[in-house]
Amino acid sequence: MRLRASLSVLAVLTVALGCSRRGGCSGDYCGTVVFVTGNNPKSLLPAVIDNAGARDIVDQLFLKLADIGMSENTIGDADFVPELANRWEWDDPKTLVFHLDPRARWQDGVPVTANDVAFSFDAYRDPAVGAAAENALAKISSVTVRDSATAVFRFREHYPTAFYDAVYQMWILPQHLLAQVPRTDWLTAAFGQHPVGDGPYRFVSWVPGQTIELAADSTFFLGRPHLRHLIWKIVSGTAAALSSVVAGQADALEYLGSPANIEMARKAPQLTLYPYRGSSYAYLELNLRANGDSTRPHPVLGDREVRRALTMALDRKAIVASVFGTYAKVPPGPMPQFWSIWDSTIQTIPFDSAGAARLLGARGWRPGPDGIRVKDGQRLSVEIAVTSTSALRQQLARLIQAQWRAVGVDAQVQPLDQNLLLGRVAAGRFDAVFQGFNADPTPASGILQHWVRGAPDHYSHYQNDDFDRLVALAGSGSVTPAQSAADWRSAMNILNADAPGIWLAAPDNVAAISSRIAGVRIRPDSWWSQVWTWRIPADRLIDRDRAVR
Amino acid sequence: MRGTAAAVWLVRRLAAAVAIVFGVVTLTFVVIHLAPGSPFLPGPDRPVDPRVIAALVHRWGLDQPITTQYLRYLRGLLHGDFGFAFSQGITVAQALAAAIPNTLLLAATALVLDLGGGLFIGLLQAARARRTTDVALGNATLFIYSVPTFWLGLVLVFVFSIWLRWLPPTGTTTPGAYESLSFLGRIGDRLLHLILPACTLGLVGAAGTARFQRAALLETLGRDFIRTARAKGLAERRVLLVHALRNALLPFITLVGVSLPFLLTGSVLIEDVFSWPGMGRLATDAVLARDHSLVTAVAIVASTLVVTGSLVADLLYAVADPRIRAREAS
Repeated sequence: MRLRASLSVLAVLTVALGCSRRGGCSGDYCGTVVFVTGNNPKSLLPAVIDNAGARDIVDQLFLKLADIGMSENTIGDADFVPELANRWEWDDPKTLVFHLDPRARWQDGVPVTANDVAFSFDAYRDPAVGAAAENALAKISSVTVRDSATAVFRFREHYPTAFYDAVYQMWILPQHLLAQVPRTDWLTAAFGQHPVGDGPYRFVSWVPGQTIELAADSTFFLGRPHLRHLIWKIVSGTAAALSSVVAGQADALEYLGSPANIEMARKAPQLTLYPYRGSSYAYLELNLRANGDSTRPHPVLGDREVRRALTMALDRKAIVASVFGTYAKVPPGPMPQFWSIWDSTIQTIPFDSAGAARLLGARGWRPGPDGIRVKDGQRLSVEIAVTSTSALRQQLARLIQAQWRAVGVDAQVQPLDQNLLLGRVAAGRFDAVFQGFNADPTPASGILQHWVRGAPDHYSHYQNDDFDRLVALAGSGSVTPAQSAADWRSAMNILNADAPGIWLAAPDNVAAISSRIAGVRIRPDSWWSQVWTWRIPADRLIDRDRAVR
Repeated sequence: MRGTAAAVWLVRRLAAAVAIVFGVVTLTFVVIHLAPGSPFLPGPDRPVDPRVIAALVHRWGLDQPITTQYLRYLRGLLHGDFGFAFSQGITVAQALAAAIPNTLLLAATALVLDLGGGLFIGLLQAARARRTTDVALGNATLFIYSVPTFWLGLVLVFVFSIWLRWLPPTGTTTPGAYESLSFLGRIGDRLLHLILPACTLGLVGAAGTARFQRAALLETLGRDFIRTARAKGLAERRVLLVHALRNALLPFITLVGVSLPFLLTGSVLIEDVFSWPGMGRLATDAVLARDHSLVTAVAIVASTLVVTGSLVADLLYAVADPRIRAREAS
């Protein structure tokens, strides 16, 4: 009797689940792709987005004047792809003129004009908005309107990545919808929850903390997207994202993380793995000033030779292999694999534990009774701050701790929650901190952000005039691309020799994507930017792809 | 006279409940504001100029003294304004409105599994006391009770979602398919998503309830009135289900009251493991992001639910046991 009741319930459930309204979509323009992400966007207003998850969605809703090509070349304008602007020219080395595509429309039917471009630049540069791109646009002195279809950018100086700066950081915004919204309120503006864009997809719905859905704009002027619906499923972290994609609940995950995760995804029959050049890098940033007192040099890390010895003491290849398997490389500087300045000829500090011990001894650090070196009564001790939510970084920190211990260095691993860690780092209250960044395509932004004197995130307090000069020179318009590359290499040689950080890992990225999707292209800096060119062949459609909502 | 005394008791309990919630609000507000960190720190994907951060902090009044912020928050509360949830990009009221139904659904289902399952297993163990069934179930419940809830959740995900592929591992619905389902289909889809998180939360609770219920039943079965019932020739099933169980239910009602806080705190971890978009996940995100308004609001809702649960349990206890009614009335 009980068995019969249980079977009845199961049968009802099965029938209920089968009661979908069978859709009639067939052909080349069907398909619903579910992306899974651990990033919970706060707003989809492009000027105030603050994480990669929001960027992925904004990329589908809004257009830039032009976008970087698959080559990721940021020098000049030859490798850029037209978007809102169908052509451009340089009136002189400091004046760039964009001609808008007359077919471009906002999704409410209003044409996109040069006024939108000027309005967008003004907004991104307005401190009241708090745009992450504000600094990146600092070398542009003005954006003016020549006529409704022509926008003129004037630069303060001529430099190789001027075109990149003009287009890459700025999605164009609809002036007619945002001009009346006080800019101090953009972070909380309703537009950010119900955006109206000009891209290949339009906004459909947002269930807080659960899903964001977009639908293809069949009238998109650059070509109708093949995938009809895109859905972002928001989960609580990498483990949940992985289980969603492996269990077939989601179709795409851009970064699988550890080798174990990659192997798990590889075993899922419905998934295809796509390796691509990594956009992230991780390193141990050393504070050259005393912990909590930036007026004094750090008693241990203020000494360049000690920093070199600490770097020398680490077998970074072995550490990276232990944590990432074959899916990461030791970078020749603070850089991801997809930067053009990645160069195997850059001089790095080799692994030499005996040499490290000698160097520490020469600097007066002698082994104490417990094996930890001591100098003038002070132990050679360094606290490594690491975010408590990253198992990978904690694993790296433990391996460093063990290898340093072998040369008489005491490392205390201090897991901290991300918010607390960021606060401590910004206040200079740390010895060494694990840093990891998702980088822009240009080295100029990352290096200038962290390592030159006066940089916004100059947490290490590293200072070297020659390094600063070479970085400035590498980004100058007065040098050739070859000379620029040579300057970058020289700058990296100086940075490596001074060792203000220990460069640990530049992971390869591996994405897991449903095998039913064809035409997959992944651009390392913005994983899903090419989604509007993906498609699902008619013979691979599943119920979800055909369903009509 | 008895009615008046009961009303006084109820008013006293309600006043205490309000005081407890107010205390929780104040404590949470102070602690989260004193915690190091800020909702506007630049992140790895947001290299914002410190001046911009300072402007945002000023704009939202986070640079004001904590007493000023607290009074402003209380004023807002009185007007039904819980503030803005920076970590979600929506108002706190919107965030809570989206999360509370999910948590209530999960907690209610888990509570049914907890109490229903626990009662059944405890009954079975008491009926087969010191026999193989009792020993086996005793060890099984002890094992489940000892296992960390999140670990059990991860194991269930691995077995039922990744290995067998029977059940969805995350979320409340199947994205992309849910909207195209019929009404019954939608209910079925939600139930499928509910199974793993509710079972994880409910199983651990049921294991504890079963052990508690077994002990209560065995104690009752040793009493004189049970011996009398058996001497009258009543069937053992009737003795157990009618006479013993009814008397062993009093402590069970207390258990209902204390289960609610357990379910709410347990749901923080479980919602994270299963990406269940409820109050637990909201609270985790809010604490990590130092989202002051949202953390405080979640504390208000959680403490209100717990205090209400406790009050309801006390009322049920009084209804079920005449001795308690008499004591409260006096």
